[in-house]
Amino acid sequence: MPVADTAAPLLSVEGVHKSFGAAKVLAGFNLILHAGEMLSLLGPSGCGKTTLLRLIAGLEQADEGRVVLDGNTVDGDGAWVRPEDREVGMVFQDWALFPHLDVAGNVGYGVPRRQRTAEVSKTLELVDLPGMQDRTPDTLSGGQQQRVALARAIAPKPKVLLLDEPFSNLDTALRREVRTEVRELLRDADMTAVFVTHDREEALALGDRVAVMDAGRIVQAGSPSEVYHHPVTPWAAAFVGAVSMYPADAAGCAAEADFGAIPLHESCRGPVDVAVRPEAVDLHPDVGATASHTVEHIEFQGADAMVTVVNHVGARLLARVGGTRKLAPGDRVTPVYSGSPAAAFPRTETG
Amino acid sequence: MRCLRLKSLSVRSTALRSPVLLKAAAIVVTVGFAFPAGYLVWRNFTFQSDPLGVLFSQRTRGPLLRTLRLAVLVSASTAVLGTALAWLTTRCDIPLKRIWQTLLPLPLVFPTFIGAAALIRTLNPGGLLSDWLGNLGLVWEVEMRGLFGAWLALTLFTYPYVYLPVAARLRRLPGSAEETARLLGDSPLTVIRRVVLPQTATAISAGILLVFLYAISDFGAVQLMRYDTLSRAIYTTRLNNQPVSMALSVILLVLAAAVVLAERGATRRFEHMAPVRSRSPVIYRLGGAKPLAVAFLGGTVALALLGPLASLGDWAIDGIRLEASGGRDLLVGWDDVWTPTWHTAYGAILSAAVAVAVVLPSAYLAVRYRSRIGTVANAVIVSAFALPGILIGLALLFWTLKTDLGSHLRNTLALLVFAYIVRFGGQTMRTSQVAVAAVSSRLTDAARTLGAGWVRRFRSLELPLMAPGLLAGGGLVMLSVMKELPITLLIAPFDFPTLTTKAFNSIEEAFVAEAGIWSGVLVVLSGVLTWLFVVRRADHFD
Repeated sequence: MPVADTAAPLLSVEGVHKSFGAAKVLAGFNLILHAGEMLSLLGPSGCGKTTLLRLIAGLEQADEGRVVLDGNTVDGDGAWVRPEDREVGMVFQDWALFPHLDVAGNVGYGVPRRQRTAEVSKTLELVDLPGMQDRTPDTLSGGQQQRVALARAIAPKPKVLLLDEPFSNLDTALRREVRTEVRELLRDADMTAVFVTHDREEALALGDRVAVMDAGRIVQAGSPSEVYHHPVTPWAAAFVGAVSMYPADAAGCAAEADFGAIPLHESCRGPVDVAVRPEAVDLHPDVGATASHTVEHIEFQGADAMVTVVNHVGARLLARVGGTRKLAPGDRVTPVYSGSPAAAFPRTETG
Repeated sequence: MRCLRLKSLSVRSTALRSPVLLKAAAIVVTVGFAFPAGYLVWRNFTFQSDPLGVLFSQRTRGPLLRTLRLAVLVSASTAVLGTALAWLTTRCDIPLKRIWQTLLPLPLVFPTFIGAAALIRTLNPGGLLSDWLGNLGLVWEVEMRGLFGAWLALTLFTYPYVYLPVAARLRRLPGSAEETARLLGDSPLTVIRRVVLPQTATAISAGILLVFLYAISDFGAVQLMRYDTLSRAIYTTRLNNQPVSMALSVILLVLAAAVVLAERGATRRFEHMAPVRSRSPVIYRLGGAKPLAVAFLGGTVALALLGPLASLGDWAIDGIRLEASGGRDLLVGWDDVWTPTWHTAYGAILSAAVAVAVVLPSAYLAVRYRSRIGTVANAVIVSAFALPGILIGLALLFWTLKTDLGSHLRNTLALLVFAYIVRFGGQTMRTSQVAVAAVSSRLTDAARTLGAGWVRRFRSLELPLMAPGLLAGGGLVMLSVMKELPITLLIAPFDFPTLTTKAFNSIEEAFVAEAGIWSGVLVVLSGVLTWLFVVRRADHFD
């Protein structure tokens, strides 16, 4: 969703520091979220994602910096708004359904008593669980529990919805289906949401924007395609998807690798490593003994195959090729770059 | 019920600042729990001309040695008996398993003085057993008194403290370990020695600890059997020789403390042995030994449960029949039964409710907030459980007699309830901690993000989730208070007769019919509670 930069953000996290004992979890964290936006926070385990969500919800207090929600400072500058007064919804990783309450009791927990019955049935319609009011959480399937947790969080109409790895407890097949549903549902409800995950596919599929996080900071934030195609560090490139860092010589808006030219999205000069996504590489079979690379390894993945090829000095390149291609380790091939302009990083001579 | 093992039941990774109110409550409660023991020591060393002289005199040596002798013997016999019974009923192909499992914990319903009185009635020459044997032309001449009588009574009525945790542990041991040992070439007996017993050791030692503490603090059995241990000597000297009574009390206090400290040290070594849940324990075939095993179980139930019940009934029926046929009038009318029964139930329920309420803040602090104050409060409250009742009773009695502040509380129900809570409140600590830990911080966090303040969270979320655990802890307190004797004898208000005081006085004054009636009512009441809170929940004892 395009958002005018001039609009005041709904949520801003400004220079937040948070430590637990000696462990620094957030180190000067900044984040801005506009109304109606869905943000994916992507990062490895232990990078501070969950702590950030808990800070926004008020379940933790920042050591430094501030959190501003809808124009009010809720944490920092001496201000403190308790979580129960923040109107921030949260879907927990293990869903945290109240085991002693039925579905209606769970979903209606945050709704004022008078509107409870009506709100509960409306929200249950929304998450596609109509008529399930009387069921207890332990009689529901994983996917249903997940939707009850979501319904409980959105029923009080929070200003911001926080989702902490909400699909990690579902099996892989279900996960893809549920996340599409959830995206549509939050979009229909015009919900502003922050969604935390360590699964890159999930992050790219769900977010209007993706923020890649590491060690308590945001490394890069942007649209999913921006983050995927134009990573700002080699680490971010590798974290967002499969990539080979391939040596080349940059000369302006292209870099010359040993198998041919790679277009760059930002002009650059000198020895570089180019972040090459596997799907941007095609492999041409050996014709006339001119091939520069040898097939080292093939991982068959069904529709396609991930092929690792290596040049005569040992530089490796990943290529995603059709699953029907007949290749075997030891075959001689020539890679051809066919993707969009790539990101290049100046070489550090120590490598 | 391993109250003394306070492994941290952590539910929260980050320390939270604990609320001031909780801390204040925990501190007040801790001071309350420490007060009787503290007062006893302070008084002993400030009101006597030669405290150490009395402490190490000949007058204290005899009772101390007798106490130790009794406690060691009872611990050994209950360890063997309780473990054997647990093994047979959980791991062997015994017929009517459910019935044995229900009956075996039930001797807990007898306060030891009632049990001891019933044993005397059943087993002494001239008692029920010798009557029956007499009909067969046999003579029975074993007299129930002294060390032997006290040992038998305590063994029969406290072995469930070993039986319950060991049975719970045996039920949960994973069968795979035993099967592996068999596959590696061990015989069944070797498997028991090398695999089962080592894994059961913590449960056995936890049970032994309880029995040992029970034995050194027991007053009822030793009083009836006329065996002069520390607690009986304290009781008999309390009026005419206070310095000796006080000195004996301090010795008993030190003994109890030493046991608890020793247990702490021993537990630390075992801490790595986490209990494992298992659905299918290995069942051993007894083969030809089965009749012998059944006879052993039957004998235990007969001696510890059916015999005493029969003799109580025998007393009561004898008395009622005698009155009906125009003999001596019973000193109780049916109307008189109601008042002490009500007092007993009321005192027990009140104490249990207040005990749960006062222990809860400390459990919260220790589990939810990992606070140092919580840890200290836990240690004090749980240690007070090792404090013999006679010491608490005596300390509070002297306090009300010798101080202005205390005199206001003389003969009040409040003081009695306070004493009961100090004595038994520790029993709720473990269950309270488990209850608090059962409320995951995720759930309270979720409730907070849904706008629930702490009052609503406590009422709608934490209390319902904790209720089963709190109820179980409260039930244990209720049961213990009902059977409690020395505190009740020493400080219950004059106008507050309970079933225990009625029964004890009837037994001591040899009004056997009345003794049978009071004891019968008490045993039935506590039997219902034992079933509700102990037998039904036997698995929770591990």
